Amino acid sequence: MYMIKKRYLDRLVLLGCSCACYSFAFGQDKVLSPSDSLKLQIGTAKLDSIFQIKTSQVNPVEINKQSLLPYSSLAQYLKGNNTGLYVTEPSGEPGTKQPMYFRGISRPLLSDIDVFQNQPLVVLDGIPLVGEHPFAYAVQTYNLERIGPATNLLANINIDMVKSIEVLKDVAAVAMYGPNAANGAIVVRTKEYKADKSNRIAVNMYTGLAERPHVTTINGDYENKFRKQFYDLYTSNGKYDDGDSYPVYLSDSLNMNYFGKSDWTDSYYNNGLVYNLNANLSGGGPRANFQFAAGSTQDKGIADQVKLNKYYALFGLNMRPMTWLTFSMQANITRLDRNRNLNLRDRFAQLAYFPDLSAPLSPNKEVYNEYLSYYKKGFDNNKSNVVQGYGKLQFDFGNFHFLSTGMLDYNEGYRDQFYHSKLMESNNFASNYYGYNQRAVFDNKAFYDWNINAENKLNLLVGNSLQWDTYRYNYAYAYKGVNDFIKVNLLEDDATKSNYLEATAYPKALIFKYLDRIRHNLVSFYGKATYSYDNKVETSLVLRTDGSSNAQPDARWIFTPSLSINWNIKNSYFNTNTSLKELTARLSAGRIGLSNVFDDFAQGPNYVAQMGFTGNQLIAGYNAIAGLVRPYESGWVGYNIPWAYTDQGNLGLDYAIQKKNFHVSLDVYVKQTKNQLINIPSYSEYGYKSSYAAGMNVQNVGAELTIGLDPVQTENFKWSTALNVSHNQNKLKALPNGLDRLVIGNNLLEVGKPLDQYWLLSNEGIYKTDAEVPQGMTYNAIQLRAGDPIWKDQNGDNTIDDYDRTLQGHRLPAVFGNWYNNFVFGKWDLGINMYYNLGRKLINQEMANRFDFINNEGTKNLDAIKEITYWEKRGDYSKYPLYNPWSTVIAYQADQDLFLENASFVKIRAITLGYNLTSLLAGRTQAIKNAYAYVSANNVATITSYSGVDPEIVDYTGYDIGSKIRIPRIYTLGIKVDF
Amino acid sequence: MKRYHLIFNVLLLFLLPLGGCKKMLDIDSSRTVKEENMWNALEDTRAGLMGIYGLTKAALDDNNAYWLYGEVRSGDFESPNRQDLKAIIKNDLKANYESLNALSNWRRWFAVVNAANIFMERAPQVREKDMRYTENNLVVDVAQARFLRAYAYFNMVRIWGDIPLILNSHDGNFENKAKEDRLKLYAWIEKEMYDAAQLLPYSYSTGDEQQIGNYYNETSGRWNGALVRKLSVYAILAHLAAWQANYADAASYSQFVMDNYNKAGSYYLSTSFLTDGNGFFFEKRSEQMFSFPYIWAHVEASFTGHIEELTLATPVVNKSVPDIYMPKETILKTFNEKKDQRFSIDTLGAPTTEVYFRNFNGKYPIFSKIKCIMGGSSDPTFRIFTSATVLTRLEDIALLRAESLAVLGEKSTAIELLNEIRERRGLKVYSENANGDLVDAIFLERKRELMGEGHRWYDMIRREKIKHDNPQLAQLIANDGIYWPIAREILAQNKLIEQNTYWK
Repeated sequence: MYMIKKRYLDRLVLLGCSCACYSFAFGQDKVLSPSDSLKLQIGTAKLDSIFQIKTSQVNPVEINKQSLLPYSSLAQYLKGNNTGLYVTEPSGEPGTKQPMYFRGISRPLLSDIDVFQNQPLVVLDGIPLVGEHPFAYAVQTYNLERIGPATNLLANINIDMVKSIEVLKDVAAVAMYGPNAANGAIVVRTKEYKADKSNRIAVNMYTGLAERPHVTTINGDYENKFRKQFYDLYTSNGKYDDGDSYPVYLSDSLNMNYFGKSDWTDSYYNNGLVYNLNANLSGGGPRANFQFAAGSTQDKGIADQVKLNKYYALFGLNMRPMTWLTFSMQANITRLDRNRNLNLRDRFAQLAYFPDLSAPLSPNKEVYNEYLSYYKKGFDNNKSNVVQGYGKLQFDFGNFHFLSTGMLDYNEGYRDQFYHSKLMESNNFASNYYGYNQRAVFDNKAFYDWNINAENKLNLLVGNSLQWDTYRYNYAYAYKGVNDFIKVNLLEDDATKSNYLEATAYPKALIFKYLDRIRHNLVSFYGKATYSYDNKVETSLVLRTDGSSNAQPDARWIFTPSLSINWNIKNSYFNTNTSLKELTARLSAGRIGLSNVFDDFAQGPNYVAQMGFTGNQLIAGYNAIAGLVRPYESGWVGYNIPWAYTDQGNLGLDYAIQKKNFHVSLDVYVKQTKNQLINIPSYSEYGYKSSYAAGMNVQNVGAELTIGLDPVQTENFKWSTALNVSHNQNKLKALPNGLDRLVIGNNLLEVGKPLDQYWLLSNEGIYKTDAEVPQGMTYNAIQLRAGDPIWKDQNGDNTIDDYDRTLQGHRLPAVFGNWYNNFVFGKWDLGINMYYNLGRKLINQEMANRFDFINNEGTKNLDAIKEITYWEKRGDYSKYPLYNPWSTVIAYQADQDLFLENASFVKIRAITLGYNLTSLLAGRTQAIKNAYAYVSANNVATITSYSGVDPEIVDYTGYDIGSKIRIPRIYTLGIKVDF
Repeated sequence: MKRYHLIFNVLLLFLLPLGGCKKMLDIDSSRTVKEENMWNALEDTRAGLMGIYGLTKAALDDNNAYWLYGEVRSGDFESPNRQDLKAIIKNDLKANYESLNALSNWRRWFAVVNAANIFMERAPQVREKDMRYTENNLVVDVAQARFLRAYAYFNMVRIWGDIPLILNSHDGNFENKAKEDRLKLYAWIEKEMYDAAQLLPYSYSTGDEQQIGNYYNETSGRWNGALVRKLSVYAILAHLAAWQANYADAASYSQFVMDNYNKAGSYYLSTSFLTDGNGFFFEKRSEQMFSFPYIWAHVEASFTGHIEELTLATPVVNKSVPDIYMPKETILKTFNEKKDQRFSIDTLGAPTTEVYFRNFNGKYPIFSKIKCIMGGSSDPTFRIFTSATVLTRLEDIALLRAESLAVLGEKSTAIELLNEIRERRGLKVYSENANGDLVDAIFLERKRELMGEGHRWYDMIRREKIKHDNPQLAQLIANDGIYWPIAREILAQNKLIEQNTYWK
């Protein structure tokens, strides 16, 4: 939130302030005469003015400041810089997904599919971007990460090419994007072409270092001592019962692999080189012009040599062969290559095979290096190609305009893997994935500008849009190839042989192949009328009707209206007041349809090939013949599924005065998302695990505040400060079938309560003796004994069960935002950005796993896998009582408030120091129009009470398993030059 | 003028897409089959029928349930470090483990019931729509569905006692049902199975008079051992009768099997065929009287759903500690006769054979009677398995018949049958002096012969009902403690269901 409004920026530039780069990079942002910009001149921008929204109705990201920072995805640029948009960063691994939530969540986050359904739409130059569909989880035994490269596709947006990023608040503005934008819309526009006949070049570059962290390591001795406490307390002879066996790797203190030096960190953690270089060339005149940009970025993490390499290019062309005809096109191409982490759990989850887990990785560097060397003998290539493009034809006939646009967003991902046999008990593994997500849109709209008189203006628009989405993948993997030299699945290519086209390098019986496709078509008709009166009042009415192929045939269409009113109070009453800069009230309300993500719902009752079971989900037949059964596993789908929709209302007020440049902007909103489908556990006696029912209603209310001023404004020193605060509260308003509570896995959804809470037992200490246990007190019918936790009997029925779990803590923050300070001293400027989350909690499952070592030693549980970071000292051991870890009540289960921790934090996210070199260089050569050099430090410090690694690094579940790579601290040095 | 012409054209372009709207929004999913597209052709009934089999296999093998119910609960095995298995061994069935929770949940069995119900309701429609679907094909299909539904009930009754009886698919109109008394269920199951048996062939695609022509245009090789046959049903009927201690019926049902097994490709097994990695348990065999295969050549091998996952470890596969193992003392007590080809020790205490147990003198003797690793190889490196889930075989029925006859007092025939097995395993013929009481000898033989095949727990209960010599087990039987608790999810969904009394 560097919410210094554009119009004041010109002044700042004049003051020679921090925004030096602004003036060269975004010079066209100044009020332009019609000939300055082709886009404006030919009406494209004007046509976009159907979304012509003032700064205060959106959440603009201040590009010039953000472009100094070494981020690789759009989400990182947006984090904290907008009110209302909460951006998560569940891993510090570059190129991984970073889910965003605009104004809360509209459905509970129970799986990655729910996360997907909560994502706001990103619109790039009018193209509604297609995300990566989560349907591939259907063929995954464990759904840790989606198969394929799983790269964050929003890494394709390059900040140096971006003119503006806006997060829309105005409901009618969002409604123009239709059902795609039911969870919010983030509108990104790339830079416009220079149309002043001078060819211009801009070059931006930085390089820097991601700093390796320093941690305390432990070895088997430490773990032994830790476990000994429990054996001392609960066993007489070092054995809890006859069958109890101590793990072999901890039994032999002479085994240097586990009891020797613990110096694995030298090989695990690394410093990382980050860099970015790009150039932008534009030229031409008012009748024809072009823009070309290209660049390359490397973002590197601090462990396992993880990194993301981007190569990107953008090409745009505008032509205006007749005065009434304009053609423009643009293509944006990005290649994303990713080095992924070497976590065991990710690998085992993909392999669906658990090697013997009785001996974890050794903390000794030499042993660990040998293990790593086998990784190097294989490969794990993750590549994504992302292409967006549009072609537009515009016809202008006086006040009547017609625009026809074809848009395409296509992204494809490849993942090719080979793991050396030494990595898995002498079985190698090869896998290939290819998949794409594609969206084609054909959009036509006509609009008419009617200037009734000097005071009254009317703008009318009608449009139609057709959208085709296709998602598809091919995936195959194989185990146990003949040797470690043939790393791909070879097929016999001799057509004369009997085994023509059969696998030769991998056993046929161990090659597993999957392919799938899902489609979704959307047809929309929309109209909009905007009426403005004398710069005082502006109203817009949006009406649209949308049809989705994922809706059931008898409920294909939904009609939704939206209305927005802006009242410029200053122009109405205080027109002569010179000290008042702005006073505006905004009101918008409307409805947007929410389409289904899967096509099963359009089919009604159906049959699927689901005959698998735990650990072997992917059985599609019997006796090698395909079978079809009801969707017992995924859930019954019936008829009468209506469209879900979201009703939103927003009320805003903007106030700004001349004095100290003080400005404040306040928004309050309410969002009701209704008729949503949810999978309810039901009909067990008919074989179903669950059934889909419509009728889940969720309410989000919140307030957003932006406040800023310049406390010091002198000739050569200026201090600007701004704070933004977002608050959101979600609440479940209704469940289908009149249910008032619903248990799904370890979550409880209760009507009237928030959706993002943990459902936990309350821990009140330890039973020291059997006598302390109240008479007959049981846990799920298991007698509690000495050494078991005292769990609070919430309902007083002398038994601890699910009814004694209560909703506690929130996965999403109650309040978040950032505080930004900028100091300008002559040609120097210093920016400090702090990001905070308050009122958020998480479960420290990493510690729960450590204490629950008895249960984790023998099970095939993904969460219990000991990564190399098992040998890092983390957490605060003294916080937890010494329970009996052998007890069948599972004393250290993660679902209790013992492991619930406050995850609020304040981070110094970025510090930048820059110097405007323009006048220095301009003396030597006239060619340089602007030059700016800077250094930055990122992720500088975190203030938190959380005892784990970083309260930010946790996925949607809120359970921190500790295996994610931390967010690096990065130092960079950069320069921006404009010729 | 020209300009207005153009405007007109532009408007036309604008309206053009409207016509294609409906077509654009009607797309058939390529991932699911909707109601209208199912039950139209021969291929649909085949898919529906295979679906029931697949679901039955899933119900049996989910979390290795078949062996946890039948073997682990008996307490013959111990678990070094799987706390959930330890809880089962201790009969602590409400312990807080995911696998125990899954084992308490009957949903997968009701999926079999529902799929069979839908099949029986809808398959006759295919007969009307597709000429290729013959009456005989329909009859044989429905008989299989009917049996599989009854078999699902048989399993549920053995595991949970009283359960709801649901005879229709109730598609889209699901209503909660209360439990039905198990005695009524026994009678219903018996009738269903008996009726199905009358319509089923001895084998498929072999010219059996009850199954004409090539079944679903596949030759006998395809169906060998994979589908339910007449004798599968009689074998399960014998088990059903014995479970109710109705030994007269058990004797007559098993009689039918013993009289007709040669018609169905079933034979007594040699010890080596029984224990070879690519022997009896590998893939599908006609000797498997009722089984659910995992066919290696058809990419059906899997990491879980096999007893090998529980029992095998070093040196049979690369895994340091087995999930379950049989302690040395138990092995010696069970295999207490010399020259037993399955397991025996010489005078020095060394095993004379390793087909049932490897690493006998190590910390964990590895029970390795069933060891179908990959394509039946002995390669220990990759723990993917292909053993079929075999529910019954000829030896099982022979011994069950011996048990029935022994109880009914027909000792000589019982001894004859017992000796059929003993002689094939290298043992001397039964003598009361050397081997003790006949019923005990038969049950001990069952324990040795059928070890690891999921029978042990039920055998122990049947034995106790005859012998009355284990007060603890008698108590459990009397209090219905032999049943499993009902999963919390079930109780939460259906308020008509009450927790089993023992676990309240």
